Amino acid sequence: MSSVQAATNGSTKAPVLSVRNLHTAVATPEGSFDVVRDVSFDINPNEVLCLVGESGCGKTITALSIMRLLPTPPVRITSGEVVFDGTDLTELPERRVRDVRSERISMIFQDPLTSLDPVFTVGQVMTEVIRTHRDATKAEAREMSVEILRAVGLPAPTERFDSYPHELSGGMRQRVMIATALVLDPEILIADEPTTALDVTVQAQILERLRSEQQDRHMSMLLITHDLAVVASIADRVAVMYAGEIVEEGPVDELFSNPRHPYTQGLLRALPHVSRKRRELVPIPGLVPPMQMMPPGCRFAPRCPHALEQCWSDHPPHEVEAGVGFRCFNPQPF
Amino acid sequence: MKRIAARSIYTLIVLLLSSIAVFYAIRLSGGDAVSARLPASASFEEREEFRELLGLNDPVHEQYFRYMGRLLTFDLGKSLTNNADIFDMLTHHGKNSLILGAAAFGLVFAIGVPLGILAAVRRNSWADGSVMTFSVAGMAVPNFWLALLTVWLFASTLGWLPSAGCCSFKQLILPAVVLAMEGIALTVRMTRSAMLENLGQDFVRTLRAGGLSETSIIGKHVLRNAMVPIISLAGLRIGQIVGYALVVETIFGWPGLGQVLVNAVLRRDYPVAQFFSLVLIAIVVLSNWAADVGYTVANPRLRKA
Ligand SMILES: Nc1ncnc2c1ncn2[C@@H]1O[C@H](COP(=O)(O)OP(=O)(O)O)[C@@H](O)[C@H]1O
Ligand code: SF4
Ligand SMILES: [Mg+2]
Repeated sequence: MSSVQAATNGSTKAPVLSVRNLHTAVATPEGSFDVVRDVSFDINPNEVLCLVGESGCGKTITALSIMRLLPTPPVRITSGEVVFDGTDLTELPERRVRDVRSERISMIFQDPLTSLDPVFTVGQVMTEVIRTHRDATKAEAREMSVEILRAVGLPAPTERFDSYPHELSGGMRQRVMIATALVLDPEILIADEPTTALDVTVQAQILERLRSEQQDRHMSMLLITHDLAVVASIADRVAVMYAGEIVEEGPVDELFSNPRHPYTQGLLRALPHVSRKRRELVPIPGLVPPMQMMPPGCRFAPRCPHALEQCWSDHPPHEVEAGVGFRCFNPQPF
Repeated sequence: MKRIAARSIYTLIVLLLSSIAVFYAIRLSGGDAVSARLPASASFEEREEFRELLGLNDPVHEQYFRYMGRLLTFDLGKSLTNNADIFDMLTHHGKNSLILGAAAFGLVFAIGVPLGILAAVRRNSWADGSVMTFSVAGMAVPNFWLALLTVWLFASTLGWLPSAGCCSFKQLILPAVVLAMEGIALTVRMTRSAMLENLGQDFVRTLRAGGLSETSIIGKHVLRNAMVPIISLAGLRIGQIVGYALVVETIFGWPGLGQVLVNAVLRRDYPVAQFFSLVLIAIVVLSNWAADVGYTVANPRLRKA
């Protein structure tokens, strides 16, 4: 599939990261359920891939699977590969995964209020991250940290280096998290809803900063969001997730103007009607089925206006059309 | 800083009020002190003379101010039973209590924290189970009973340790362990639950995403966070140790402040009882104050506020 995608993207460069048929399951007393099912996508050099979907559809679990940061137990990868620089990260021993984290793939999280260690200063943590991966003196680490704090737009970075998280605003904390994630110049940044917890005015600044850092550093970014306006403004490619599966994926222009999958179409149709303040994805009638009652065929069938007999029993295969991959037996013109 | 200043003022007020309370409480039984000291055949005049000598006929508030004035000049008077200088008693017995108390206090953390970490890191394992069983037992067993049990086992039966006395290292072990037991049990639980709570926090995931080792994440970051409530309650552990010292020192014949106080009360030696009550109360109140300062220092979120 990667060759198909590479060809359809018009990109000749090899992807920096390939997720292949990833299954991640959560163990419950009633059994084990795939919260991520058969997910495949590539992240190409220098590109921003947006992962969108309703809350609970498995975006965070997908990202944590890549970083090997799943809360195991109960959540663990059951099959599939995450290929990065020729190695399958899912197979690496924990010790080697640690070398990848932050040095080569970084991740920032949704809630900057709870995501920073409250009893250490910004500088203490940044210094420790740097010195875990590099031979740097404390003075060098301090210099690197202050420089990146300044670069991400934190005011008074020299003083902030010695601040505790509680002394900073939400926006400043998110900048600290971004700076810590970027200080070792990783190839990939995974940003899990980095602005959801912030004030609307700060959201735009942070996204702007992420976009410019991504371009300046020739870095790839996997941006998780449920905000289609964010996708439209920042993404090169989009992957739409529903109930643990990627139902449609492709270049942002083509996917927005010509979606094939009924779920994507529903999302886009609903867009003008939702409130302008928070463009969350709650557009389509019905609810995501609980994990225990997931239909065996297409997971969207219970809510789909175009469902066929076959949709209830068979899992729709991955198809590609005009560079857009999708899983649907009955794609509709938009 | 404001928080510390406010707590300091509050602490001074508590000290003042409790010293007044002790003073009045002892005065209420003042007559007994006189009859306890003089033979039953003593005449009314002799009794009055004795009361006058002790200043017991003056208004209580005058006695209080006079006493406080003498406290400040270390002129504490003498014991009614053996004529020993009370200040000398304080330094002598205080040193013994300090040794025992410090040993117990040290054991509380030296044993409680590592066991709590072990239980948290290996949660639901047999190690966790044993540690938690030990903790429940440590809280449930009254310390006089534990004292008798350990004396029976380690002194009478096994003969490994002396059953009582002062002040060798071997003699210190049993009373220190008994005195520390409840604190250890509580500290184990608190450490375990604080470690588990902090292990589940979002910041741990961020640190993992930074590539830090589990040793650093658990041994440094999570532990430091978990220590905030434990340090904040360290002062309460001191209070507990002081309270239990009365029983434990008496059982083990350890000549500390607690033993002096118990003996003084039993013999109605009221200048001694009064002074040593004040001392023990001051220790408890001041250790609570220290706990609060410790909490503020341990928790950066409170430092500036
Ligand atoms: N720690 C966990 N234990 C059990 N189930 C979890 C856990 N984390 C997430 N899940 C389940 O996995 C699914 C996907 O969650 P998540 O990836 O966080 O969704 P999203 O990020 O898209 O909002 C949800 O149904 C959620 O209930
Ligand atoms: S496969 Fe069938 S049920 Fe699923 S989205 Fe397509 S048409 Fe709807
Ligand atoms: Mg999420």
